[in-house]
Amino acid sequence: MITVSGLRKDFKRLTAVHDMSFTVGDGEIFGLLGPNGAGKTTTVRMLAGLIAPTAGEATVNGHTLRDGSQKIRAITGILTESPGLHDKLTARQNLAYYARLYGLRGTAIRQAVDRYLGVVEMSEHADRRVGAFSKGMRQKIAIARALLHEPEVIYLDEPTSGLDPAAAKTVRDFVATLRSLGRSIVVCTHNLDEAERLCDRIGIMRGTLLEVDTPSALRRRGRAATVRVELNGARGAESFVDLLAGLPFVTGAQVQAAGLVVELDDPGHETPDLVNALVGAGARITSVREEAATLEEVYLRLIGEIGERDADK
Amino acid sequence: MRIRYVLAVFGKEWRDLLSNRLLLGAVAFPALVFAAIPTGLVAFIQANNLDPKQLGQIEQYIANFPDLSPKLAAQGFIITNFMAYFLLIPAMVPMAIATQSVIGEKVARSLEPQLATPLEVGELLAGKTIAAALPAVAATWGVYALYGLVNGAIADPVLMRLVFSNVWLTAMTTLVPLICLFSVLLGIVVSSRVSDARTAQQIGGFVVIPIIAVAVAQFFGGQATFSMQQVLLGDLLVSGLIGVTVVIGSWVFDRESILTRLA
Repeated sequence: MITVSGLRKDFKRLTAVHDMSFTVGDGEIFGLLGPNGAGKTTTVRMLAGLIAPTAGEATVNGHTLRDGSQKIRAITGILTESPGLHDKLTARQNLAYYARLYGLRGTAIRQAVDRYLGVVEMSEHADRRVGAFSKGMRQKIAIARALLHEPEVIYLDEPTSGLDPAAAKTVRDFVATLRSLGRSIVVCTHNLDEAERLCDRIGIMRGTLLEVDTPSALRRRGRAATVRVELNGARGAESFVDLLAGLPFVTGAQVQAAGLVVELDDPGHETPDLVNALVGAGARITSVREEAATLEEVYLRLIGEIGERDADK
Repeated sequence: MRIRYVLAVFGKEWRDLLSNRLLLGAVAFPALVFAAIPTGLVAFIQANNLDPKQLGQIEQYIANFPDLSPKLAAQGFIITNFMAYFLLIPAMVPMAIATQSVIGEKVARSLEPQLATPLEVGELLAGKTIAAALPAVAATWGVYALYGLVNGAIADPVLMRLVFSNVWLTAMTTLVPLICLFSVLLGIVVSSRVSDARTAQQIGGFVVIPIIAVAVAQFFGGQATFSMQQVLLGDLLVSGLIGVTVVIGSWVFDRESILTRLA
C-alpha cells in the first residue's frame, strides 16, 4: 500500500513535483501518465527511497520515506527507464549480483535467478553477455532484475518498451499476475493503450496530478457519453429526432449517415430505455454501441489545458 | 558499512575487470616496463666491463654505496634509483580502473538500479575502490618481488638486499596502498565531473607529476633512494590528500547527486 500526501521535490530553483497526493492499494496497478519532464521519474525515485522529498510525506507498506528509505528499497522492485545492465557480465551474473544486493543468499540466489530467467523467457540466453543482447532482451533482463526479490511494491517505467507484441503481452500478463498476488504496482508510461489495458486507475500528471480515476471514468470525462444507433428500414433516421428530443434522459441527438448519435447522461442505465423507445416508434435497429472519448483525447485535453495555462502565465 | 554488500560490489567489479583485456594490459604493462628498464641496464653492466672514465662520471652516485665494488655500486644505484618509478604504478593503474568503472556505469546508466537496492553509496564506493586498488597493489608487489629476485640472480645477492631494504619494504606496505587509495578516490571524484574515461584519466593523470618530480629530484640530487623519513613523510602527505579527497567525494557522491547528475 502506498500513501502519498502533499509530496514535493525541488531541485535548486526548479520544482519538479508538487502537491502530489494519491494512494495505491494492495493488488492495484496505478498508472502515471504524463509528458516528458512531467515529474513521473522524480515521483517514483522519491517513493522508491532513492531521493528525499523537499516536502510532504509518503508511506510505503508502513515505512515512511524519511525514516525507512533502506527498508523501502528492500521491499521495492524498480524497472528504470534505461535497463542499466552490466554489459560485460552474463544475464545470469547480472541477476545474481542484484539478488545479492537485495539480500538473497546461497541457493536462494540461484533459484530466484533461474525462476525469473524462465518468467521472461531468457533461460537459453542465461550465460551470454548482455552487451550482445537486443533492446528487447535487455528489457526482459531488467524486468527480471526488478522482480528477483519478490518485492511488495513495484515501479515499472515503460515496461514493454522495446518488446515485440508477444513479449509485451507476456509482460502484461505477468504484471497482472503480480496484481493478483497483492502487490502494489505503479506503471509510468507514455503508451496510453498499455495504460488502459494494464491499469486499474490512472493519474495524469504534469508537475502534479491533474486527474486520477479509472480508465473508463477518465474516458467519460473526456466528452459527453454518446450511443451510436445504426438503423435499417424504410424510415430515415431523421424521422426519430423529434422523438428523442422528447425523452428526458437524452441530452442531444443528431443524424449521422444511416444512424443516430445520441448523447446520454448515463449510457449504462439509459441505453435500454433508448432502445425501447426507438423500437416502440417503429425503428429497425441493427446495432447499438457506446462511444466514449479515447484516453488519448482526455490526456491531450488535460495536458493541453495545462500547457495553455502555463503559457498565459 | 556491511561487508557482504561491499564484497558483492567487489565481486561484480572484479568480473568486469577480468573480462576487460585492455584494462588488464594497462595494469600489467607499466609495471613490467618500469622493472624491465633498470633490469636491462643491470644485465648490460654485468655483461660488460665498465670504462673507468664512465665510472668517474657517476662517481657522485656510486658514492652512495661505499662498501660495494664500483661495478656493483653502479648496478645498485640504478636499481634503487629506478624504484621511485614503482610508485607510478599505484598512481596510474587504479586511476585507469576507477575512471573506467565510474564512467562505464555512467554511460550504461547502471548506477540507478544499484542504488535502488538496499546498497548504500559508501558500500558501492568501497567495493569499487577495493576492486580498483587491489590489482595495482598486487601488480606493484609482484613486480617488486620479481625485480629483487631477478636482479639478485643476474648480478649479486647484495642487490636483492638493496631492493628488499627496510625502507622499501615500508614504502611497499604503506605508501603503495595509500597512493592506490588516493588515486582511486581522485579517479572517482574526477569521473563524476566529466563524461568520458579518457578526459578523466588525463585530469587525474596530474597525480603522477609529484612522483616523477620526486624521482627526478632524487636523481639530480645524487640520492640513490628514499630515506625512511622521506617514506614516512610521504605516508603522511598522501594520507592528508586522501582525507581531503574523501571530504570532496562525500559532497559529490551523495545518492541524490549521483541520480540527478550521473545516472
